[in-house]
Amino acid sequence: MRRAAGGSGLIWYAFVGPAFLLLLLFVGYPTFETFKQSFYQQVGTKQKFAGVTEYSQLVHGGDLSHALWNTALLGCAYLVIVIPLAVVLASLLNKLRRGATPLKVIYFMPQLTSSVAVAIIFNYVFEPDWGLLNGTLHRFHIASTPLWLADPRLGFTGSRAAVTILAVWAGLGYFMLIVLAGLQSIPIDLYEASAMDGASSFLIWRSITLPSLRPTFIFLILTGAFDAMSRFGDLWTLGGPGGSPAGSLQSVVVYLFQTGFVSNDLNRAAAIAVILFCLMLIVTFASFKAVLSREFGFRRKTK
Amino acid sequence: MSGVGWVRRSRKRSRFVSQLAIYAALSVGALVMLLPFAWMIGTSLSRQADIAMPRLPRLWPPDPSFFNYTIALNNLPLLRYYTNSLIVVGGSTVGYLFFSSLTGYAFAKGRFRGKQFFFVAFLATLLIPFETRMIPLYLLMKDIHLDNTLLALIVPFLVGGFGTFLMRQYISTIPDDLIQAARVDGANEFLIYWRIVLPLCVPALAALAVLNILWRWNDVLWPLLVISDPHKYTVTLGLANEGKSQGIYTGVALATATIAIMPVLVAFLFLQRRIISGITIGGVKG
Repeated sequence: MRRAAGGSGLIWYAFVGPAFLLLLLFVGYPTFETFKQSFYQQVGTKQKFAGVTEYSQLVHGGDLSHALWNTALLGCAYLVIVIPLAVVLASLLNKLRRGATPLKVIYFMPQLTSSVAVAIIFNYVFEPDWGLLNGTLHRFHIASTPLWLADPRLGFTGSRAAVTILAVWAGLGYFMLIVLAGLQSIPIDLYEASAMDGASSFLIWRSITLPSLRPTFIFLILTGAFDAMSRFGDLWTLGGPGGSPAGSLQSVVVYLFQTGFVSNDLNRAAAIAVILFCLMLIVTFASFKAVLSREFGFRRKTK
Repeated sequence: MSGVGWVRRSRKRSRFVSQLAIYAALSVGALVMLLPFAWMIGTSLSRQADIAMPRLPRLWPPDPSFFNYTIALNNLPLLRYYTNSLIVVGGSTVGYLFFSSLTGYAFAKGRFRGKQFFFVAFLATLLIPFETRMIPLYLLMKDIHLDNTLLALIVPFLVGGFGTFLMRQYISTIPDDLIQAARVDGANEFLIYWRIVLPLCVPALAALAVLNILWRWNDVLWPLLVISDPHKYTVTLGLANEGKSQGIYTGVALATATIAIMPVLVAFLFLQRRIISGITIGGVKG
């Protein structure tokens, strides 16, 4: 009778318990350990409490800020290119009456390729003498071709530009699909009303399409920022733990990997991991605030 | 009369022209997306590519042969990598779907003390990036002697806050009456979960499966830490560790990459509808 009144009872602990223990063991405990280890240092064979020594050395060392700068630069360049491109292409795709599926499939294909495999292909695409990109430039009789991955300088033809092109190629399909889903969820009567008012198509795009896509943009910036902050596979494959050439491809996670598993300084790596955690938390809360302020602003307008 | 017909026809024609223009523009982009794949396959079929690459890129070699593929399969145990990847992806996905739906059902339909606390604890794990906890996790794997085993690539990923959350949201939409009726009939909660809830969850489970398969298949950071025995390499790890070491033999390297990529792309062509809807499920809600 009690059971029939609505699933209460100990059985639910059997449902949740094992999973909770697994989370405790594989998420809770390691996270706690990371925080703890970041305040310790290896002295001889023992771990000794060292306060914020690792953090202050990281701040004063310059390697971390270099890696952070690289990560931010690559992430911003990627998002600034891929989001507008995805909006344009998805809008075109949305206008197609038929035959959109094969195009969707093609644009999405790199997404099914691991970042490592993409990096291997593009390692050859960017080869300065005969790679696909420079070879195509040769075909158009352009003599002075860029060095791409061999050029560590900051610019539109260096290693950072190369890995940005690679990332845009790999990520475009996903961004397009999400924007397309956003476009298709805009109610059609919004458009019909303004078409009756005689608004130009650019005005409609600006006053209806773009504002309606706002949640989509927030979602894409959030997931894109997360991906950029944890970027590893392609940069590691192309540049190794040092982010060669000249450290230009060293992201935070590559630096974390190098510190922990090449230099074997697990305490310092733990400190980097904590800093990464805090940065991601800030990004999460900032985007939550962006979502909430929209809800709030909307309510104020209707009142 | 004929005037109206002409207007309609010209409108139809201009719509046809604009559709054609859109299709052309999108096709140019699609060509750019395909070109690296096509060039990879073309070069992998060329024996000359191992000696000297042509200065002007060609999509089809003058001497097509599977020579590079023979070398690639002899050099690296690629089939072994594939077996390992399938074991890891299969094992972790089955476990992830099971735990996600089981906990999702409890959080959606169960009544028990501490439900709120447990649910918030599951959600809180979403805030912790894997990179933050991977070093102690690696040390833990060493302590319990799971390092260098495929289990190390499966066990830490059996439960995740995302899967639990997604399944809870989905199961919440199942009418209570359906579950209540089974309870009245005397079915226990696990039977209800197994016989009633799970079959209704197939679309959500499929979406979750797609995401998890992609995450586990593409992961390289964690395998790089816990796996050092080349016999335990996954496809992605093998490619990362060995794919470039034979880089001077461009044809062989690209044949290796082709073997690692193409089966997945072919599977995608068959399952594209499921995969694309699975991927967008997060974005539509966002």
